[in-house]
Amino acid sequence: MSLLQATGITKRFGGIVALKSVAFEARAGEVHAVLGENGAGKSTFIQILSGAIAADEGSLSLRGQPFAPKNPREAERAGIAAVFQELSLVPDLTVAENIWFRREPLTWFGTVDRRELLRRTAWLLGELGLTKIAPDRAVRHLSVAERQVVEIAKALAGDPDVLILDEATSALPPQEVDWLLAIARKRADAGKLVLYISHRLAEVRRVAERMTVLRNGETVGTRTTANLSDDEIVTMMLGRRLDRLYPERRVTRTARVALQVEGLTVGHRLRGVDFSLHEGEILGVAGLQGHGQRELFLALFGATRSQGRISVWGKPTVIRDPHHALSAGVGMALLPEDRRLQGLLLSKSVRENLILAILPRIARHGLLDLRREGELVADAVRRLQVKVSSPEQLAGTLSGGNQQKVVLAKLLATQARILLFYDPTRGVDVGTKAEIFVLMRDLAAQGYAILFYSTDLPELTHLADRVAVLSYGRVAAVLEGQAIDEEAILRATLAERQAA
Amino acid sequence: MRAGLRGMGPLLAPAAILLALLIVLAALRRGVFTLDELNTDAAAAMTLILVATGETIVILRGGIDLSVGGILSLATAIAATRGAAGPLEMAGWAVLILVIGAVVGMLNGALISVLELQPFLVTLATWSIVGGTALIVLPSEGGAVPGWWVDAGAGTFAGLSLAVWSLAALLLWWAWFRRTRLAASIRAAGSNERSAFLCGVALGRMNVAAYGLSGLFAALGGLFLTSQTGSGSPTVGNDFVLPAVAAVVIGGTVLSGGRGGLAGSAVGAFILTIIGNVVFVLHISSYWQPVVAGLILVLSVLATSLGELAMARRDAAL
Repeated sequence: MSLLQATGITKRFGGIVALKSVAFEARAGEVHAVLGENGAGKSTFIQILSGAIAADEGSLSLRGQPFAPKNPREAERAGIAAVFQELSLVPDLTVAENIWFRREPLTWFGTVDRRELLRRTAWLLGELGLTKIAPDRAVRHLSVAERQVVEIAKALAGDPDVLILDEATSALPPQEVDWLLAIARKRADAGKLVLYISHRLAEVRRVAERMTVLRNGETVGTRTTANLSDDEIVTMMLGRRLDRLYPERRVTRTARVALQVEGLTVGHRLRGVDFSLHEGEILGVAGLQGHGQRELFLALFGATRSQGRISVWGKPTVIRDPHHALSAGVGMALLPEDRRLQGLLLSKSVRENLILAILPRIARHGLLDLRREGELVADAVRRLQVKVSSPEQLAGTLSGGNQQKVVLAKLLATQARILLFYDPTRGVDVGTKAEIFVLMRDLAAQGYAILFYSTDLPELTHLADRVAVLSYGRVAAVLEGQAIDEEAILRATLAERQAA
Repeated sequence: MRAGLRGMGPLLAPAAILLALLIVLAALRRGVFTLDELNTDAAAAMTLILVATGETIVILRGGIDLSVGGILSLATAIAATRGAAGPLEMAGWAVLILVIGAVVGMLNGALISVLELQPFLVTLATWSIVGGTALIVLPSEGGAVPGWWVDAGAGTFAGLSLAVWSLAALLLWWAWFRRTRLAASIRAAGSNERSAFLCGVALGRMNVAAYGLSGLFAALGGLFLTSQTGSGSPTVGNDFVLPAVAAVVIGGTVLSGGRGGLAGSAVGAFILTIIGNVVFVLHISSYWQPVVAGLILVLSVLATSLGELAMARRDAAL
């Protein structure tokens, strides 16, 4: 009956036990959710299933047969395909080359049959309803959401018996989430197994019949989703009750304008945006994927060319580049879209990541002041409660939520007073999300001005003082106070669409 | 069609530089756009092109191979001590030389993957070891290859020199190679090693293949060089290491791996060769020649990077 079974799986990384005798069982024909806080061991477990790392102890069985994949290739041959949280696409290959990588159709010269490759890709993308993605485009030109979709198409190309989706929706806009959930459902109905890892309970509820919760590397239990309330699930994950996800709304906005933007334009993606961001305010930005929010954030940070007028604390300013944005004169910091690519140096220690942005402040006569550096790092780690064994731990070995905390700590260490948060809770667990929200509210209360984009509408409605809705590169509406709700935001995005 | 043109994009800048250099050269002396000139330039550039071929593969993978210097020297040293060999015997020696080159390269690849060492250091070490071996085989410049070997090197077929035919064969080989799974794995690993691993690339085997090919092409370069000079030199390879890397980079292959190709490297090798010609016909003091050559090189690299910037802009606008 059970398709995939794990018993006594244990994995250690150095002195840290990531998994402690994990037991797991999933059946053919179900969508099975795997839940847990950051660092609970979900990613490690998935990586063992997909052959990326080997377990120290314990055994797996697949269709009743013992199964111990030595590398991702063996797992793939056995019928397990994973969509990893860390994207596994090769940026310099095209969409088609990536999807069929190492499974390319060959001509009888031993070369890749490009025509067949493109034909198959077009067929696959068509079958999945992804006609907007060009098979011959290099992956590095795609947006994060498009990459995620290609990654999913790639996993599906081999028609696997077990499909593992690790936080696959964290980079997807709402329509694509619906698309993915429908695919997961369809595969389960066809007698396949889908393992669904997500921090979003609403999605888990919509798609998964059963769920297994991990906590601190151990299995808490497997339950039927419909029998549990959200509170009960969160309690299972945390081992305690989480009082509330969102902090209480306090109005800390002052009359002082931190950032005044007029007619900001970037190519044809952002077409004349006006808004003002006040001291002590969290200004939400909403919009469907690709409606200019990315360009807006990059332009404000000086990372892309733009036209229009920007005033910072009342002073007209032309932001030349990110270095200028971060400088004391401007004081603006960006939490980027993809922390793994843009926000963190994964192969460097937490300490090195933290000090990178503030080198001038801890340097004395051109030399690093090591004592001052130690203090600042310890302070940042404490302030954000980053779970690290020591500041020397490599950033790449941290869980998603802890990585995001390091990025945040880095941002705060710059002493910028205007913070640009681009989807700060992407791939972050419930516990850390709550911490980030509290932190944002506190920062606002301290007089920071925060521009906050999120793909998750409830975050905007609960956290933002005002929400600017972008549509086709323009501000379609600015909602305030009681007027902010999910329906109003959606209506604003759609209204502009009909007019356009 | 569109994909084909897009693939050609990075070649435009180096090709334009090469053309500009040729035009400058034509203004200074006669006979630049003739078959003879093509034959001569190809012969002058071919050794560098062969070494750069191997280097292109290794750089696409995100590595670097310095040992090509030693391998090239050793190849000429062995060939130059076989002056009396008949055609069949010489063919045997040529095969042996190629095998030695490939084996040294494969060892590089194995050391890099098994011991997880830096390619720079591993190949620096093998450069020294193999270069030293060349000195043992042939202690000083000289020796001789069989006379017919040199004749073949100077021979022409249908008006085109051996070098031109070799270049055509090489480009044909590349047209095949770049479409193989191995080439895709190499590019993938150079683009993002972790992704490539997760996608099932056996990194160890791929490294052995990539560095093995590099060693093989360096040995081939050595054999070609002896057909032009008629003699060997235990240190000649050292003059090819950095120019080979330079040819690859000028040709648009990214030093961090993943993007690029042989056509660009060949153009890069021609650029480096023609710069020498231009400086020569300028009739300036020989002390100044390297200075001027360096300045032209800077301009060329600048043009390449401006070209790439324009491409990136266009892509961003899409």
